[in-house]
Formats: sequence, C-alpha cells, structure tokens
Amino acid sequence: MEAASVAHDQHGPPEAHRSSRVHAPTLGMLLFIISEVMIFGAFFTAYFFIRVVTHDPWPAHGTKLPVAVAGVNTAILVSSSLTIHWALHSIRKGNRFGLKAGMVATFLLGLTFLTIQINEYIHIGFAPQDSAQGTIFYSLTGLHGAHVFIGLCALAIVSIRSFRGHYSPEHHEGMEVPGIYWHFVDAMWIVVYTTVYIL
Amino acid sequence: MLQIVVAVVIGSAILIPLTLIVPWFPAKASAQAGRIHTLYDVLLIATVPIFVLVLTVVGYSMWKFRLKPNDTRVDGPPIHGNTRLEVVWTALPAVLIIGLVTYAYTVLRSNEASKPTAMTVNVTERQFAFEFSYPEAGNKVSPTLYLPLGRPVVFKLRSLDVIHSFFVPEFSEKLDAVPGITTTLRVTPTRLGRYPAECTELCGAGHGLMRAPVYVVEPSVFQRWLAALKANAPPPIGTPAPKAVQPGVPGSGKSVASAAAGSSSAGSSSSTSTSAGGAAAAGKAVFTGASGCSGCHTLADAGASGTVGPNLDVRLRTDCSMPASKRIRGATLTRCIHTAIVNPYAYIPNGYTKGVMPSTFGKTLTPSQTQSLVSYLASVAK
Amino acid sequence: MATAVSEAVPVRTRTRVPLPPKLRAPGWYRAALFEVLGLGFAFGITALIRWLQHIHPIVSGSAVTTVALIVVPLFFIVGIGCCDYWVYWAIGRPTRPEDHSTHGARTWRDYFRVNTDHKVIGIQYTVTSFFFLFVGGLLAMLIRVQLAKPGMQFLTPEQYNGVFSVHATVLIFLFVIPVFAGLANFVLPLMIGAPDMAFPRLNALSYWLLPMGGVLMLMSFLAPGGSFASGWTAYAPLSTTMPLGQMFFTVGVQFAGFSSIFTALNFLVTIITMRAPGMSFFRMPLLVWANFSTSLLVVIATPFIASSQFFVLLDRALGFHFFDAFVGAGKNGNVLMYQHVFWFYSHPAVYIMMLPGFGIISEIIATKSRKPIFGYRMMAFSLLAIVILGFTVWAHHMFVSGMSPWIRIPMMITTAIIAIPTGIKIFSWLATLWRGVLHLDTPMLFALGFLTMFTLGGISGVMLAMIPFDIHVSQTYFIVAHIHYVLFGGSLFTIFAGVYYWFPKMTGRMFDDRLGKLHFWLTFIFFNLTFGPMHLIGIQGMPRRVAEYAEKFAAWNLFISFSAFILGLSTLVFLYNMVVSWRRGPRAAANPWRGMTLEWQVSSPPPVFNFDHVPTVVGGPYEYGVPGAVHGIFKKPEAPPVAAGSSSGVATQERQE
Ligand code: HEA
Ligand code: HEA
Ligand code: CUA
Ligand SMILES: [Cu+2]
Repeated sequence: MEAASVAHDQHGPPEAHRSSRVHAPTLGMLLFIISEVMIFGAFFTAYFFIRVVTHDPWPAHGTKLPVAVAGVNTAILVSSSLTIHWALHSIRKGNRFGLKAGMVATFLLGLTFLTIQINEYIHIGFAPQDSAQGTIFYSLTGLHGAHVFIGLCALAIVSIRSFRGHYSPEHHEGMEVPGIYWHFVDAMWIVVYTTVYIL
Repeated sequence: MLQIVVAVVIGSAILIPLTLIVPWFPAKASAQAGRIHTLYDVLLIATVPIFVLVLTVVGYSMWKFRLKPNDTRVDGPPIHGNTRLEVVWTALPAVLIIGLVTYAYTVLRSNEASKPTAMTVNVTERQFAFEFSYPEAGNKVSPTLYLPLGRPVVFKLRSLDVIHSFFVPEFSEKLDAVPGITTTLRVTPTRLGRYPAECTELCGAGHGLMRAPVYVVEPSVFQRWLAALKANAPPPIGTPAPKAVQPGVPGSGKSVASAAAGSSSAGSSSSTSTSAGGAAAAGKAVFTGASGCSGCHTLADAGASGTVGPNLDVRLRTDCSMPASKRIRGATLTRCIHTAIVNPYAYIPNGYTKGVMPSTFGKTLTPSQTQSLVSYLASVAK
Repeated sequence: MATAVSEAVPVRTRTRVPLPPKLRAPGWYRAALFEVLGLGFAFGITALIRWLQHIHPIVSGSAVTTVALIVVPLFFIVGIGCCDYWVYWAIGRPTRPEDHSTHGARTWRDYFRVNTDHKVIGIQYTVTSFFFLFVGGLLAMLIRVQLAKPGMQFLTPEQYNGVFSVHATVLIFLFVIPVFAGLANFVLPLMIGAPDMAFPRLNALSYWLLPMGGVLMLMSFLAPGGSFASGWTAYAPLSTTMPLGQMFFTVGVQFAGFSSIFTALNFLVTIITMRAPGMSFFRMPLLVWANFSTSLLVVIATPFIASSQFFVLLDRALGFHFFDAFVGAGKNGNVLMYQHVFWFYSHPAVYIMMLPGFGIISEIIATKSRKPIFGYRMMAFSLLAIVILGFTVWAHHMFVSGMSPWIRIPMMITTAIIAIPTGIKIFSWLATLWRGVLHLDTPMLFALGFLTMFTLGGISGVMLAMIPFDIHVSQTYFIVAHIHYVLFGGSLFTIFAGVYYWFPKMTGRMFDDRLGKLHFWLTFIFFNLTFGPMHLIGIQGMPRRVAEYAEKFAAWNLFISFSAFILGLSTLVFLYNMVVSWRRGPRAAANPWRGMTLEWQVSSPPPVFNFDHVPTVVGGPYEYGVPGAVHGIFKKPEAPPVAAGSSSGVATQERQE
C-alpha cells in the first residue's frame, strides 16, 4: 500500500489510505441492503395496517393462497443460495468449473422461482384491484419478484463474466458482492412467505 | 459571566410581559380554549428566557470578543470543554422539558375528558362542504352548526371523499375527518356568538372556501331550533341574531341577516313547494340535506346562504340562458340544471373555476334524487 | 471500482455499430437520441400491454406519459454516459484502462459532462441546487403576490395549490438536501485526506439523477390539469385522485430520493474506508461527523418516501386499493397508513436538512473565533442522539390526523426530548464564541444569524410538540412560520455561510465581503419581518394552504408580502456577488481563514487529485490557540508548508474586515 503510493506520480491519484479492513464494495452493498430492507419495511407497514390495524380478514373472503406451491418455490429459492455459495467456494479454491456450474445452477433456480411466481399470479383467482388484501399480496410478492429479477440480471452478468474467464482465487469480489445481494433476496423471501402465506 | 446573567434576567423581565400582552388568540369561546391559552402563556414564560440567553451571548460576544484593529491576540484560549458546564446545560433543559410535557399532558387530559351530559353532533364532510346532523333531532341535517351554550359536545367526524378537517379557531380545537373511520372531537362552548368552522386539511381546489357558520346560542333558543329542524320545518322566526358577533369574521353580520331572510322566505315557500308537488319537496330535502348543495350555494327558498358556488337565486336562470350554456348544457332549463349537477364542468359560469364543485353527484345521487332536485330547482329558479 | 479494473482481461477489438461518433460517444447528442428512443419505448410498451390486456383505447395519453416519466430520464442517464463503464464491465468487455479523462474540469464545458471528480460533482451539485433555490423562490414570490390582499384573483385556487406545492417540493428535495450533498461532496474527501469518493462513478450517477427529478417537477406545470397540487406532503387519497400532474411529483421524488440514497452510501463508505492515516473517528472534523449521521438517516429513512410514492403510483395508475377506504366491495384500504409511512421519512428528512448545516456551523465558528470547538465529543454524540431520536417522533405531524390518541403521548415526549441534544449543540457553539477572537466576516455573520434564528424556530417546534397547543395551531400559519424559521433561518443560513466560507477553496477567488455583509443584513432583517408575523396570524387562526383568507388578516399579509419581495431581492445581491467574484474576484490564498482542517492545506482550487501524497493526521482538527498544534502533515515538502496548518502561523495571510 505505502510502497504503491510512493511509486505514484502526478498522472493518477495517490493510493487512498485503507482506514478500515472491510472491502469498500462489500460495505457499500451491505449498506444498500439496509435501504432495501427498509423498502420492504414500508411495504410490511402497509400489510400491518391492513391486516392488524383495520382487522381485515386475511386473505380476503372467498380467496385462498397456494401455500403448498409457494412452499416448494421457497425450497427452490433457498437451494439457489446454496449453489451460489458453492460457486464462491469453488472460485476461492480456483475451481473454475465449480464457479461456472454454480452460477448457471443458481441462475436457473432463480428463473424457475420467478416463472412459478408468475404462474401463481395467473391462476390465483383474484386481482390487486379486487381488495386491499389483494393489493397488499401482489405488492409484497411483486416487490420481491422485482428484486429477484434484479438479482437474476446480476447473476447473468456474473455468469457471462465467469465464462469469459474473469475472477481468480485472489480477485472475485465481482461475484461475491452480487452473491451477498442474492442471499438477501432469498432471506427476504422467507420473511415474505411466512408473513403473507403461512401466518 | 455576571453581566450575561444580569442581562438575561433583565431581558426576560422585559420581553416576557411584552409577549404576554400580545393578543395572540381569537376570542376564547370554549372551555378547552381557556386551558390552551394558559398553556401557551406558560410556554412563553418558559422559553423566552432561552431565546434571550442565546441572543445575549451572541450579541455580547460580537461586541466584546470581536477582532479589533491592531489586536494583538491571534487566537483565543484553547478551552476544550468543561464537564460541569455541559452537565448543567444538559440537565436544565431536561428538567424544563419534563415540566412542560407533564403540564401539557394534564391539559390534554382535561380537554378530552368525556362528559356524561355531552350531546353528539355528526359532522359529515365532502368536497367542499360541511353537513351537521343531530341524533337528538332524528339525524336531520343542517348546513349550519347550532350549539347550545355551556353544553359539552362530542363531534363525530366523517368524510365522504378525501381527508378534511374541522377547525373552529375560537374553540381552539381541530381534528381531521378521515375516509373510512370516524374521529371524535370534544368541545364545550362557553361564549355566545357566530364563528367560522373551517376545513384546515388541504382537500382540493375548493379547500380555501370550505367554510360553515357556527352559532353558539342560549340552550332555550337551541332547543326551539332543534325541534324545528326535527319537524323538518324552517327554523323559528326570530332566532336572535346572536350576541357578540365576531368582528371581522368573514361576512358575519351579513349572513346572519341572510339566514334570517332565508328562514322567513322558507317559511312562505314551504307552501309553494308543496303545491309544486312532492317531487319538488323531495328535491328541497336533497338540496338542504344529503347532497349538501346548501353548503356552497345561496338559495333563499331553501334558507341556504353558501357563498362558494354561484348564487342560484340570481345566477341560475341567467347562466342557463347564455348561448354557450344552451349549446353545451341543453336549451331547456331542466336539461341545463341536470347537466350542471351531473357534469358541472361542461360549462363553467364566468367568475367561477373548475375543480370546486364536486363532479361526483352523477354517481352519489340516485337518479330519482337527481330528478327531484332538478325539478325543485327549476320550480324555484327566479 | 478498482477491483473491476484489476479483473479486466486484455483488450480485445470489437466490431462497432456504424453510427456517427457524436452519437456514439457519451454526451448530449447521444442523450438526446436516447430520449427519443425512450419516448418510443414508453409508447410501444404501454400500447403493447394495453393491447394484450384488451384495454381500450390502446393509446392513452396519460398512461404513456406516466410510463415515459419513468423511462425517459433513465434513457437520458444512459445516453449522457453514466453507465458506459458498467455496461462494458457487466458484459465482460475490456473496461477502458483508467486514463483519468473523465476526471477533473479543464474548461467550463466539463461541468456539463459526466465527470467522476468529487470536486467537479460538488460544484455541479451546488450550482444546480442554487438554480432551484431561485426557481422555488420565484414561486414563493407568486405565493406572496396572491396573498398580498384577500380576494386576489391573481391565481386560481388550483393554480395556487400547485404553486406552493412545487415551491416546497423544489426547495426541499432539489435545494436543501442536494446542496448539502454538494458542499460535502467537495470538502469531505479533502477533509479526511482521501483522493476522491469511494465510488466516483456512482457519485456521478447520483448527481445526474438529480436534475431528472427537478425537470420533472417543473414540467408538471405543463401537465393537463396543472402541476401537482396536494402540497409537498401529497396526502392520499387526495393525491391518488389528482390530475396527471401528481405523477410528476410521485416519480420525480423517486429520482431525487435515489440520488440522495446513493450519495449517502458513498459518503458512509468513503468515511469508513478512506480516512487518512491517523484520522481516528474522534479526529474527524465535525462536518464529517454531521454528514456521517445524515447519511445514516438517508440510508434508513429515504426508502420510506420511495415506498409511499410507489403506493400512490399503484393506486392512481393501476387502481390498487392502498388508500381508498370506502365501505363497499374491496374499498378497505387504510388512509392513515400513508401519513405514517410518509412522516417516517419526512421527519428524519428535516434533520437530513439540518445536521449537515450543524457541521458547517461547527467548522466556521471554530475557525472564525479562533478557538477549539467546545465539547467536541458531546458535539459528535449529540448528532448521533438526534439521528436515533429522529426515528421515534414522526407522528408529531399527525396529532390532529385522527390516529388512535394514545400514540400522541410517547411522540410528544420523544419530540420534546430532541430539544436536549440540539440544545447541547447550541450551547457548545455559544461557549466556543466565548472569549474567542471573532472574525465577523460574512460566513461568521451567517453562522451567528443561524444560532439565533434556529433557536427561535426550534423553540416554536418544541411548542408544537405540546399536543394541546399543536391542536390549535396545526395547519395554520404558525406552522408556516416554524417551517421557515428552521428551514430558512436554520438550513439556508448555514448554506449561505458554507458557500461563502468555501467559496475561495472551490473557485480559487475571494468574494466581495462588503456585498456579503449587505446580503446578510438584508436577509436577516427581512427574513424576520416576513416570517415573524406568521406566528401571530397563525395563532389567530389563519389556515395554511389557502389562496383566500379573512379580512382581519389583510393588513399583516400585505406587510408580509412586501417584506418577502425585499427578501427575494436580497438574494439577488448574493447572486451578483457570487457570479462576479467567480469571474474576476481577487485570487484566493490556499488558506485565507487560517483553518487547520486538511482542505485548507492544499492549493485553492485544489489539484485534480487533491494530494500528491495522502497526509498523515497527528492531532485534532480545531486546535486553535494551542501553540504549535498541527492537524495534518504532508510527507513531501512540495505540499504547502506545514506552518499553514498550525495556528501559530501568525504571518500567514491575515484578512481584516
Ligand atoms: C430543518 C427542518 C426542521 C427542523 C430542524 C425542525 C425541528 C423541530 N420541529 Fe419541525 N417541522 C419542519 C421542519 C423542521 N423542524 C417542517 C418542514 C414542518 C412542517 C411539515 C408540514 O406539515 O408541511 C415541521 C413541523 C413540525 C411539527 C408538526 C406541526 C404540525 O403540523 O402540526 C412539529 C410538532 O411537534 C415540529 C416539531 C419540531 C421540533 C420539536 C424540532 C426540534 O428538532 C427543535 C430542537 C431545537 C431547539 C429546541 C432549539 C435549540 C435548543 C435549545 C436552545 C435548548 C433549550 C430549549 C428548550 C428546553 C425548549 N415540527
Ligand atoms: C428551504 C425551504 C424553503 C424556503 C427557502 C422557502 C422560502 C420562502 N417561502 Fe416557503 N415553504 C416551504 C419551504 C421553504 N420556503 C415549505 C416546506 C412550505 C410548505 C408547503 C406546503 O404547505 O406544502 C412552504 C410554504 C410557504 C408558504 C405558505 C403557503 C401556504 O401554506 O399557503 C409561504 C407563504 O408566504 C411561503 C413563503 C416563502 C417565502 C416568501 C420564501 C422566501 O424566503 C423566498 C426568498 C428567496 C427568493 C425569492 C429567491 C429567488 C429570488 C429571485 C428569483 C429574485 C427575484 C425576486 C423578486 C421578483 C422579488 N412558503
Ligand atoms: Cu376540506 Cu380542506
Ligand atoms: Cu417533524
């Protein structure tokens, strides 16, 4: 670090002093996740007001939620957390195949989740415009779906780059940081699933 | 140091009385208002010294410690802090705060204490009119609010569209009317007079015009008025122009008069409306009641003195006879009135703006209601 | 991101689409092209969806506009070139090797391009937000014309509602919040001895998101049915039943919001990971502390306003039922929920609009009274205390909202308690003045003006916390008075102070102190004449947000309007001073105020990369009067002499009033 900064001349900035051991992009992602959690927090506030404050029946009369299907879906998403962890583990040990396979698997699992979710929308039998419960249901699951979609984009990028030969045992933050995000998306789904479907 | 203390004491001694004699509040017309005025005086006494302190220290430093020409001092003394001092200025405000909060709490408690003798009044708000109904009068509605002197009142606020609010400055009490829930406000009027009830929650273009007159009258007078309302008859002639009319309340004197005029003419017109047939009578009920037209429009026959919308006594026929109006709203008077009710912005009489009159009557009124309303207005339009 | 570069693989040649270079290279041409594409996209996608959903007519103006509001600015952002690097990086293409071409400004044109230099971005931010101050101020002038006398027909009621709504929105979301971000962008990395922010490209993105929001807000005046007119609070269900203009607010706020979230992330990461060696947390200047606290507030709170506006968007555009609460099928939304979500952001927001100001004041008062800040640690801790308390008081805006009454009591208590940490700060500043050597030039005058005016505004705030009194004055001009005493007398005074204080550093030139003082006195006097009387007419019962009022308030309102116009004109003095001094003011020395913090130890304006070598911090930032005390030292002598940083450097440029 210091050596580098001495070597520097006017053509570039001086090497910044690393005043903390944490890796900047990782920290940035963690903070961003705080914001994301708060967004979900706001949507859960809406859920809370409809279900607890105004004591509306949940789900709305004459509607029911496909708890079982969603349960399977939950399993799928959670397993994708494991596969991406495996990918990370592999690249740490320099196993490129593990990296690629892990990323592709994760991506496909995420995609399956999303398709099942959309399919659920089609067959669930009520629309967000029908009732406040419908509104809340679609908003919460939809918000999460949007996050899954963003996560998938990130995963796609990481997969492409891993096939293009990026990442090394030393430098794989580029896949580690999206990985953190993906774990967050999974964890958040577990919360959504329990509050919306089970409780 | 000492000079500061002296200066602050003197400054507060001068400023506190000054702030106390300022006529801050409007007339004190409710038990609640009294307590709130005292609370405010206490707040002034408690906080003025703080402001004076800050002002004095800043002023004194500007005068005493400013860099003077040919000043030898380069820097001030390196004082980094003083724990005792910091504890003091953390603790003192804390004590003050605790005191103020406790006092405010007691005021709140007594202001909102529920009284067994209380009378309930339902306040229904919509864009952009108030409507008051009295369970004691079989929930008959009135565009103006009458209250008996000295009797605790419980207002039940409801809203039919967006959030509104109910505020009578002289009562020092206010509360929002929220769609979907009923909110409760307690007031005990203690002063005869005519006061404005205002909507203080932004509710659209007509928000600034959403007003209704409030009369606090002698209980006996109130009982007669209530009985008349219940009998759906016009208010008894000779409702005394309330004593102590608020100076400066928009058009106070005027509309007391017009209310009286309204009532008298209504008295005569009850016959005309019966002759005009049941439809018209029903229409009058709609006008003064459910639809709340009377909140915004003046119509002598219905004893309505609203000033938000066009004065129907003078404008209705003339506006409907405008060529443009004839083209847009239909040639006949009834067509014109009908359009004006269900689709108010099709043609806007000059001097008025879009967005004030609710455009929802087409939905909120039943066809029969609309019909009777139209025929009633047609029958009384001068 | 440095890591991204190190991951890049050797350059491969790629076939390019045949486009004229002007349109291919990032810049305004490509931005324009992309905007057209964006419009087309919005049009196509809405038409497609409506066709698939069998909604008729397939082409609906309002639907297309709503979508375009979201899409077009994003396309512009891509077109202007905020994302090129990321795109290359994302698809694994060779990322351009770091020639620092987008770093630093050589000509004025560079300020109109995407730039990754925190100093350039800081100036872009500051200038842009000041533009919006003038827009918002002009709108305020319209407000005052309308209110000059009762029965004024200058604006129609809905126009008036639109005007004060845009006034408030612009001044809050596009002036106060971003201007603080701008000033901090410029000085904060310098202060902590960092060569730049942690994520320079994200920083550029945050900036470019801002004008997007601003343009939307102003364009709302062109919308059919007029601009959004439900106040800056946009309470549902009014906002969900408003004409199209409301969408410009709903969407515009999102851009402003994400802009400030990204900046906040950037500040936090920069402060945590890029402090110079020796710069422990308790050696940081208080401005850094202030922005650290503010960023925490932003990161945690801002998502709530984003969500609240998502709700409104869904309710209005897609007919969801978050807020329409009418008996009958499905209409069982909850109206008060909007206010809880909104204020859970917007109360912290008022501290987002004040804490950075506290930081600025600490810098100025310490330097200008040549004394160490009194009780440095308490200053830092009180900031954090305000952050925490700030999240526990939101419902004090809802005392008359009809929510269940018991909630008001805890809120009253927590709200009143906030007076204590704030008081600690005020009193500490006073103690810093005590026995100092006060340089009463423009920045200092504004700082002192802030002390008095903010105390007044804060005290009226504490009065508002007292529920029974608030029940009387809520939604009256007393609130308007409070708003302006804290936002104008508080935030804006600190902003003026800060701009004057760092003007030499930012532009390399001195401003005209005479004009500055004139500006201060005019502002100070007419500010009080404008907003002082509002306390009185408020308590007497004049409601806010009305275009028409009772006769008995006529006299005061006329008086207020006149004062307001002069107050407005006084800002022209400021404008003139800034513009002229920037172009041909006398050159500024590196350290005109003999400040000790690091930004003063480099040339004015600072070199493109701030430091040749990151300095080492050896002492506290405000050791004025301590013989030979130094805050930071530079390894190489070519950096300005250490003496400049030491308070005992008497000889160094002494400015006299
Ligand atoms: C910069 C912005 C800012 C700041 C800093 C504050 C600071 C405070 N505000 Fe204010 N507030 C607003 C901006 C701000 N406010 C706005 C914009 C609105 C209107 C929103 C709308 O409806 O449009 C509003 C509305 C508002 C309300 C709602 C009124 C209503 O709508 O009915 C309340 C009620 O409690 C309140 C309270 C306070 C309090 C207690 C503080 C405290 O933080 C103040 C603390 C400071 C001091 C107290 C002074 C210094 C302290 C001392 C010298 C110590 C000794 C003092 C005592 C012991 C009293 N504010
Ligand atoms: C930082 C925030 C900020 C600032 C700086 C201001 C500045 C001003 N504000 Fe505003 N204001 C708010 C935030 C702010 N306001 C908020 C949040 C509300 C609540 C809105 C709501 O209810 O939703 C509000 C509401 C509000 C109202 C109440 C509207 C109502 O409720 O009906 C009024 C009325 O007088 C007002 C007036 C002014 C005036 C005269 C200024 C002046 O200080 C402006 C002076 C500055 C300039 C004028 C600069 C521009 C000058 C020129 C361009 C030169 C040309 C000058 C002339 C032609 C004379 N403001
Ligand atoms: Cu009803 Cu304002
Ligand atoms: Cu607040």
